[in-house]
Amino acid sequence: MRDSLKMALTLLVIGAVCGGLLSVVNAITQPIIEKRSIEDLREAMGDFFPEMDAVEEREIDGEMYYEIFDAGGDFIGVVGEVTASGYGDEPIRYNLAVDSDGEVVGLRIDSHTETPGIGDVIEEEDFQSDIIGLGFDDPIALDQDVDTVSGATVTVRGMVSSIRRVVDTIGMEFLGLEVEVVEIDPADVDDGTYTGTGSGFADDVTVEVTVSGGEITDIVVVEHNDTQSYFEQAEAEMPGRIIEAQSLEVDTVTDATASSEGIIEAVNDALN
Amino acid sequence: MTTISQVFTKGIIAENPVFRLLLGLCPVLAVTMTAINGFGMGIAALFVLLCSNIVVSLIRGVVPPRVRIPAFILIIATFVTIVDLVLNAFAPGLHEALGIFIPLIVVNCMIMGRAEAFARKNTLGRSIVDALGMGIGFTLALTVLGIVREVLGMGTAFGVDITGAAFEPMALFASPPGAFIALGILLLVFNLIIKRLGFE
Amino acid sequence: MELNLAAIIFVAILANNILLHQFLGVCPYMGVTKRIETSVGMGMAVIFVMTIAAIITWVIYNFLLVPFDLGYLRTIAFILVISSLVQLVEIVLKKTNPTLFRALGIYLPLMTTNCAILGVAILNVQMDHNIIQTIVYGIAAAIGFTIALVIMAGIRERLDLVNMSSMLQGAGVTLITAGLISMAFMGFSGIMTL
Repeated sequence: MRDSLKMALTLLVIGAVCGGLLSVVNAITQPIIEKRSIEDLREAMGDFFPEMDAVEEREIDGEMYYEIFDAGGDFIGVVGEVTASGYGDEPIRYNLAVDSDGEVVGLRIDSHTETPGIGDVIEEEDFQSDIIGLGFDDPIALDQDVDTVSGATVTVRGMVSSIRRVVDTIGMEFLGLEVEVVEIDPADVDDGTYTGTGSGFADDVTVEVTVSGGEITDIVVVEHNDTQSYFEQAEAEMPGRIIEAQSLEVDTVTDATASSEGIIEAVNDALN
Repeated sequence: MTTISQVFTKGIIAENPVFRLLLGLCPVLAVTMTAINGFGMGIAALFVLLCSNIVVSLIRGVVPPRVRIPAFILIIATFVTIVDLVLNAFAPGLHEALGIFIPLIVVNCMIMGRAEAFARKNTLGRSIVDALGMGIGFTLALTVLGIVREVLGMGTAFGVDITGAAFEPMALFASPPGAFIALGILLLVFNLIIKRLGFE
Repeated sequence: MELNLAAIIFVAILANNILLHQFLGVCPYMGVTKRIETSVGMGMAVIFVMTIAAIITWVIYNFLLVPFDLGYLRTIAFILVISSLVQLVEIVLKKTNPTLFRALGIYLPLMTTNCAILGVAILNVQMDHNIIQTIVYGIAAAIGFTIALVIMAGIRERLDLVNMSSMLQGAGVTLITAGLISMAFMGFSGIMTL
């Protein structure tokens, strides 16, 4: 009995001392860590928008977007703290700055786990200058306005599709722009089942659309690579909205904008 | 009874944790893509080993033998967490590069091994020297491997370009297979040298 | 959801094998792979412990540490869970299934210092997996680990019969072989991204 007590007591004391030590170290280091990441971001935003005076935050699709205003209170642009899914184990974290005309004015890679010497081409001048200057109305696609980089296909493709998505989101949420959707009239479409692809949050979204008697009767999501918890919200609502309106001019689901857009684009693609 | 200097040098050569005892290989292979990362990991592990050996040696009279393993785990994990937090706050670049292998220091067999095999049976002074010897041996191994992989894989050493345009780096060495192969070759070389110099 | 799980399995076993690509679990690799049977034994133990450890650590992290802002205690909590789990499994197995206990032999206590188990537990949390994905990743990663072990053991058993200089024997040739296997597996990457 005495032995067990001694053992338990020893462990308890050691545990308490360790725990105490750790909470002290944590208390010291935590504020430094937090402060640093906020400072990094502020610094980056100042680089993109030198006239930055005030910032408003908004969370969309689980990511932070910062609306930048100048000293006169005018809106000058948006910086998104966003992610892309590349080749490495963790998402590529980067910041994209888009001005009030919907044009990309800055790209800064925050962190990534891409292969050094291969995937880290995204940090280089060549790739970044390809991206800067592209706007909402540009394709922003590999081999169209962005050069492929051999050997780093997965990384670059992930970045480009993410940038496309971020520009779309910023355009729609902050600039009032609309992703061009060719208006379709289901009555013009022959009966049958069609497959189409659109671009969602992380990657493509594929849907199967069934048309019968001049009406869209069913929309099924076949494949997607978006974060499940967000995509679920879009998947639950969007097919229903499209079918009810028999049109693609429907509202997206708040908080799952990109996934919703992906579904709309995919249906658009299927029926055209 | 080994002398103090023997305690120190055995950790560096004859019982080098990486090249001879084959301990703690996971981080050795993973973080040595660049020399500075290898060095950084070595120092981090050395720090934990030192603190752990000190504490274990200090409390060796007080800890009942049957609970020593959980006690050691608590102690080692605490120091590892301290290193994790401090690096995150003051050396974020290194913290990011070493990533998951910082917390994995806690299962580095070298640290638990020295606590169990040495620190709990030896005086404070000898335990410190043992930790220094092993830790430096570990850091040396990591740094050397890091230099080899960085030079062959990227043409630089510690970020400084040393091979120039003439040498086309072999990306192989910057990636996983290269790690295995480079370590294998280094092991051979190290053992050869030891045999020739008569340390065996 | 199903596709997502399939991708997790594929990536964990082939494209991003936790041993051959992420270097988790290399320590036992050298010692255990001398014979195929021991490799299989180790693999089984790992599959068992890794899966349970992944679940328990996930629960503790998401329901205990995060809500109370104790994220920094993750390392301590996880390793304590794993070592306790291993002890528990040893005790329970000894009583309920002595044959299995003897078959696993020394590999059970070795689980505690296996970086793969702690590594996968941390990865699950870092990758923000839900409980299902955690379980799937745990099992898949362990299977990937076992496959890497068995392949290596198969090769080493053959190598034992070959004449080679004593310098190369043992760790030297094992590491180089591991490098070649790793290279082969790299061919799987890029097929699917997570």
